[in-house]
Amino acid sequence: MKQMQEAYIVAAVRTPVAKRNGLFRNTRPDDLLAHALRALFQRVPDVDPAAVGDVIVGCAMPEAEQGMNVARIASLLAGLPQSVPAYTINRFCSSGLQAVADAAMRIRLGEADVMIGAGTESMSAMTQMMGNKPSPNPAMFDHAEHLSIAYGMGLTAEKVAQRWNVSREDQDAFAQTSHERASAARAAGRFAAEIAPFTTVAHMPGADGAVRVVERDVREDEGPRPDSSLAGLAKLRPVFAAKGSVTAGNSSQMSDGAAAVLLMSEAGLKRFGVTPIARLASYSVAGVPPEIMGIGPIEAVPRALAQAGWQQADLDWIELNEAFAAQALAVIRELHLDPARVNPLGGAIALGHPLGATGAIRVATLMSAMQRGEVSKGLVTMCIGTGMGAAGTFEKV
Amino acid sequence: MNPGKLIVRRVAVLGAGVMGAQIAAHCANADIPVLLFDLPAPEGKPNALIEKAIAGLLKLEPAPFSDPSRVRAITAANYATDLPLLAECDLVIEAIAERMDWKRDLYLKVAPHLAPHAIFASNTSGLSITALAENLPEALRSRFCGVHFFNPPRYMSLVELIPTRYTDSVLLDHLETFVTSRLGKNALRAKDTPNFIANRVGVFSMLAVMHHTQRLGLGFDEVDALTGPRIGRAKSATYRTADVVGLDTLGHVINTMQTTLSDGSGADPWKAHFGKPDWLTALISKGALGQKTKAGVFRKVGKEIQVLDLKLQDYRPSTGDVVAEVAAILAIKAPGERFAALRASSHPQAQLLWAIFRDVFHYCAYHLGTIADTAQEIDCGLRWGFGWSMGPFETWQAAGWKTVAGWVAEDIAAGRAMSSVPLPAWVDQIEAVHTPQGSYAPVTHNWRPRSALPVYARQLQPERLFGEAVPTSGTTVWENGDARDGVRLWVLPEVDARIGILSFKSKMHSASAAVLDGLIGAVAFAERELDGVVVWHPAPFAVGANLKEVLEGCKAGAFEQMDRMIARFQQASQTLRYAQVPTVAAVSGMALGGGCEFTMHAQHRVFALESYVGLVEAGVGVIPAGAGSKYLAVRAHELAAGTPGGDVFPFIQNIFQQVAMATVSKSAHQAIAMGYGKATDDVVFHPQELLYVAIRRARAMAEAGTRPPLPGRDIVVAGRAGIAVCEMMLVNMREGGLISAYDYRVALAAAVALCGGEVDAGSRVDEQWLLDVERTLFIDLLRQEPTQQRIAHMLETGKPLRN
Repeated sequence: MKQMQEAYIVAAVRTPVAKRNGLFRNTRPDDLLAHALRALFQRVPDVDPAAVGDVIVGCAMPEAEQGMNVARIASLLAGLPQSVPAYTINRFCSSGLQAVADAAMRIRLGEADVMIGAGTESMSAMTQMMGNKPSPNPAMFDHAEHLSIAYGMGLTAEKVAQRWNVSREDQDAFAQTSHERASAARAAGRFAAEIAPFTTVAHMPGADGAVRVVERDVREDEGPRPDSSLAGLAKLRPVFAAKGSVTAGNSSQMSDGAAAVLLMSEAGLKRFGVTPIARLASYSVAGVPPEIMGIGPIEAVPRALAQAGWQQADLDWIELNEAFAAQALAVIRELHLDPARVNPLGGAIALGHPLGATGAIRVATLMSAMQRGEVSKGLVTMCIGTGMGAAGTFEKV
Repeated sequence: MNPGKLIVRRVAVLGAGVMGAQIAAHCANADIPVLLFDLPAPEGKPNALIEKAIAGLLKLEPAPFSDPSRVRAITAANYATDLPLLAECDLVIEAIAERMDWKRDLYLKVAPHLAPHAIFASNTSGLSITALAENLPEALRSRFCGVHFFNPPRYMSLVELIPTRYTDSVLLDHLETFVTSRLGKNALRAKDTPNFIANRVGVFSMLAVMHHTQRLGLGFDEVDALTGPRIGRAKSATYRTADVVGLDTLGHVINTMQTTLSDGSGADPWKAHFGKPDWLTALISKGALGQKTKAGVFRKVGKEIQVLDLKLQDYRPSTGDVVAEVAAILAIKAPGERFAALRASSHPQAQLLWAIFRDVFHYCAYHLGTIADTAQEIDCGLRWGFGWSMGPFETWQAAGWKTVAGWVAEDIAAGRAMSSVPLPAWVDQIEAVHTPQGSYAPVTHNWRPRSALPVYARQLQPERLFGEAVPTSGTTVWENGDARDGVRLWVLPEVDARIGILSFKSKMHSASAAVLDGLIGAVAFAERELDGVVVWHPAPFAVGANLKEVLEGCKAGAFEQMDRMIARFQQASQTLRYAQVPTVAAVSGMALGGGCEFTMHAQHRVFALESYVGLVEAGVGVIPAGAGSKYLAVRAHELAAGTPGGDVFPFIQNIFQQVAMATVSKSAHQAIAMGYGKATDDVVFHPQELLYVAIRRARAMAEAGTRPPLPGRDIVVAGRAGIAVCEMMLVNMREGGLISAYDYRVALAAAVALCGGEVDAGSRVDEQWLLDVERTLFIDLLRQEPTQQRIAHMLETGKPLRN
C-alpha cells in the first residue's frame, strides 16, 4: 500500500507482566505506564522527549486508578515535558496495538515526526471484570439480535469451540504448549531485552508501629507455570457453560502490565540519528458477530496482509493473542497458520493478558525478536470483545 | 478469678487433629479466640502443618465454621516455642491421639505454663480420666476433668463431662454452664468408666445389631431399613452409620472395649461379644473403610447403591426392606402392644428388633449403677450422642416397665439373651425409671430431679424424657384456627406475663391462611393488651406459604383470590414490622420463603446458631412476594443512603443472586451476612435458650421504648438499569446451559421486584408500589404452567423441579 511516508519503530519496551493480585497488586497502572515511558527514553538517550507530537495510550477499562485520562497523568509522572500532549483510547484487547497504529498514522499523515503508542492495564485495580459499575443498555435484552452484546467472553469462547469443533483436549494441549514455550523462553532470558524491570514498593504496618517499606525487584513475567501439566489442566472444570470445555487453564490469565513504543518518521530518524528496528507495514480491524468475537483475526489478518501486499507465507513470526485456546485454535485452523510460527515464546495463556496493554507488549516482543535477527516479517493480531479483530504487520528494516 | 463465674477470654486446644481442630472451630463460632497447638513441623515453617489443618477446616463437610470468616479467630501455635501463650488461656482442651504415654509427656510439658485459674480438660473418648489426672502435678488435679465432644462437634449436641475424685465441683459447674450456654451443647455428667456413657451403650447397641443380624441371617440393607427412622433412629441406621463413621474407627472402638472391659473387676459380662465380626475385619484389611474410601458395607456404583452380601461374598443392589408383616407391627401406636407383637412374631425381622431392644435394655439395667448417676444420663446420652428419638429406659418404660422387665427376664432365663447375668434386683422394685420427681438412681435407690444449675433456668421449654414432668404450656391469651392450624398467643407468667409468645400450629409451621389471619389478629391483641410479642415455636421456624392451598387455588383458576391471599401475606409481614409493640422473631432451624420474610420483618431477631434461612421461592417458580422483595429493596435503599454516590444496585446484586439461586444460609451468622438479619441481632448457641433470650429481648425493647421504624418513603430503586445488569448475568447463565429458560423467567421477575419495577434508575417509590410490583409478578408466574408443575413436584417429592 502506498504511504505518504513510512512510520518506523525506534524502540519498544515493556514492564514485566504480573498475575492479577500478584506482584503488582499494590502497583498502580499509571505508575506502570510512567515507568515504561521513562524506560523508553533510556533506550534512546539522544531523543529529545519534547519532540514527541502526542502520547497515545490504550486502556480497556479506563476508569478508577486508570481513569482520568491515564495517558496524560502517566506522561506527566514520567517527566515528559508538559508541552507533550497525551490521550487515552479504548478498543478493548487491541487498545495497545491500536495506539501504536494510531501513532504511526499521525506520522504517515505528516502530522508528527515523533510519536508514542503505548498501553497500560491493571486488572488488579478492577474489582469487577465488567468495570467498576457495569451498566448494560436495557435495549440489549429487548431485541434478540442485540442479546449477544451481553455475552461474557468465556461464553463466546464456548460458542467458538462448538462451532469450530475445538475439543477440550486440543484446548488443553494448546495451553500446555503455551506454558512450555513461555517457561523455556523466560528461563533462557529471551524476554530480558524488552523488559524494563520494575521495583515495587509495598507499605505495610510494621511490628514497631512504623510503616515497613518493602521493595521488590520484578524482572520477569509472573504467569508461566513450568509445572503445568496436561493432567493438571484436564482436572479443571468448565466455568462458563454446563457442558463446556473452556476452563481457567485454557483461557488467558488476568494480569497487570504496561508497554510503550517510540515511532518516528524518516525526518525524525535523521534529526536524532537513530536506527529503526522496523516499519509498520499495515494495520487493519474488522467486525465479526459478538457471540463469536474470538474469530476476529480470521477477518482482520487477511485484510492487513492485503494492505501490506504480503502473502501469509511471508510471515515468519505471529503474535496471536491467546484470549482463549478455543479461539486461537479456531483462528489457526481457519487461516491455516503454521503452529510453529504462532507465539514461539508462548502467549497470553501463560504470559498473561493485561487487556489494553497486551497489543503494545506483544509489539515489544516482536521487535525484540527482530533485533535478535529471528524475524523479518511479523504479525501481531488479536480478537476483541463485542466482536472485532485487529492485525498489524511489521517489517524489519 | 471471680468465684461466681467462669470468664473464657481465650481457649487453647492441644492437638490439631480432626476433633481438636473442629472444637477450635466451634469456639471460634462462639467468638472466642483460640490457640490451636500441635507439634512443630520437622522442617520449614514450624506452624505449617497446623496452618494446613486450620485451612482444612474450610473444606470440611458439614462445615465446622458457622461462617468461613470465623477462621480468623484461630491462631496456630506449636509446643516448641509457643507454650508461654498458654498463660493467657482460661480453658485448655487436650485432644491429641489416644495414647496414655503421649498424653503424659504433653501434660508434663504444658503444666508449668497453665494459668493458675485455668481449667484443663481432656477430650479423650477411651482413656481413664483419673489415670490422666494422676499424670498431673497435684495442684492442677482439681482443675482437671474430661470433656468429651462427639464428632462433628458443631452439630452433635452431646458433651460428656467426666470429673475425677480430685475435680473441684464448683469449677465443673462453671464448665457445664460454659459448654451449655456459650457452646450450645447438652452436657452430661458421666462417671469415669471405659467409653463413658453414650459410646458404651451406643456401641454395644451396634454390636448387638451385628450379632443378631448374623444370627438371624439377615441382610445389612434389610437391617438398616429396620433400625433407622422406623424405630426412631437416624436415617443412616446401623451399617450406613458405620460406613460414615469409618469401619476402621469403629474397629478401633470395639478393640478398646475389648481391652478395657475384659478383665478384672471392671469385666463386662457381655465381653464375649466385644470382638470385630469376621466380615468387618475382612473389609478393614481390604481397605474398604466406608464412605471415605467409597466402599464399605455399602458402595455406590453409578447411581445404584449396593450392599455387601455375606452369602454371595460380593456386593448386590441394596433393595432390602421391611416385610409387610413387620411393617404392620411397627405401625402399632401403643408401644407395649408393638413390643408384644414383635416378640411374638416368628419373622426374623421382628425377632431382630425385639432382640436388639431386649439386649440393650438388659445391658443398660445391668450397668446403670456403674456408668451413670441416674437413668436420665443414659437416655439423654443416646438421644444427644446417637440421635435416638427416645433413650432405652424411656422406651422400656413407655412399653410398660413391669411387663417388659418380665419378658427380658424370661429371655435371659431361657438363654436367648446375649448374656446370662440376671437383671439387677432394683428392676423389680420400681414401677418407672422416669417420674415427674426425677430419674432413678440405683445406688441411692431414689429418683433424682434434673440439675438445678442456674443455666438450665434459661431453658423454658426443655426437652424431657418419657415419664418426666412435661414443661408448662403457659397461659393462652388469644388463639385462632384449630389444633393443627392457626396460631396461639400465650404467656409464661413466671417469666414475663406481658410478653406474648406467638406460636404457629400448622404442620412445619407453614404460613397457611389461618396462620396469616392469626398472626395479624394476635399482634393486634398484643398491641392492646401486652408489652411485646415473640414469634417462637420449636424448629423449624417456618417453611413458607402453604403450597397445597396455593396449588389448589391455581387449579381452580382463583387468581383474584390468590392475589388477596398474597396481599394478606404482605399485611402479615408488615404487621410484624410496624406493630406498636416490639416484635421479636425467635428463629431456629429452617426459615424459608415466607418464614424468611417474617424473620426479616420482625423488629428484632434472635437466631439459634443452627438457623437455615433463605428465600427459596424460585425453587417453586415464584418470587418473594410476602413483602420480602419490598423489604430487600428498601434495605438496599437504606444501606446505599450512607455511601458516596448512593447507588443502590451494589446492595441488590448479591441479594439477587441469592434469590435467583434460592440460596439458604448454613448458620445464623451466614443468615445475617446474607442480609436476612442485622448485625445487631442475637445469635444464641443453645436452641433451648432461644425463647428465654427472645422474651428478655422483647422486654428490654419495651422498656427502652422501642418504636417501629417509619414506613419507607422516597425509596430510591435500581430500576431498569439494575434489571439490565441482572439480565446480563442471566443471559450468560442461560446461554451457557447453567439455568433453564424458565429459571431465567423466574429470576428475571425477582430482578424486577428487587429493582422496584421497570422504572428509571434512581426513581423514588413508596412501599405500596413495591408491594404491588412483587405481588403482580408473583400472580403472573403463578398463572404459568411450569410454575404449577414446580409446586406440584415440590408437594410430591419435597425437592425442587428444574423445568
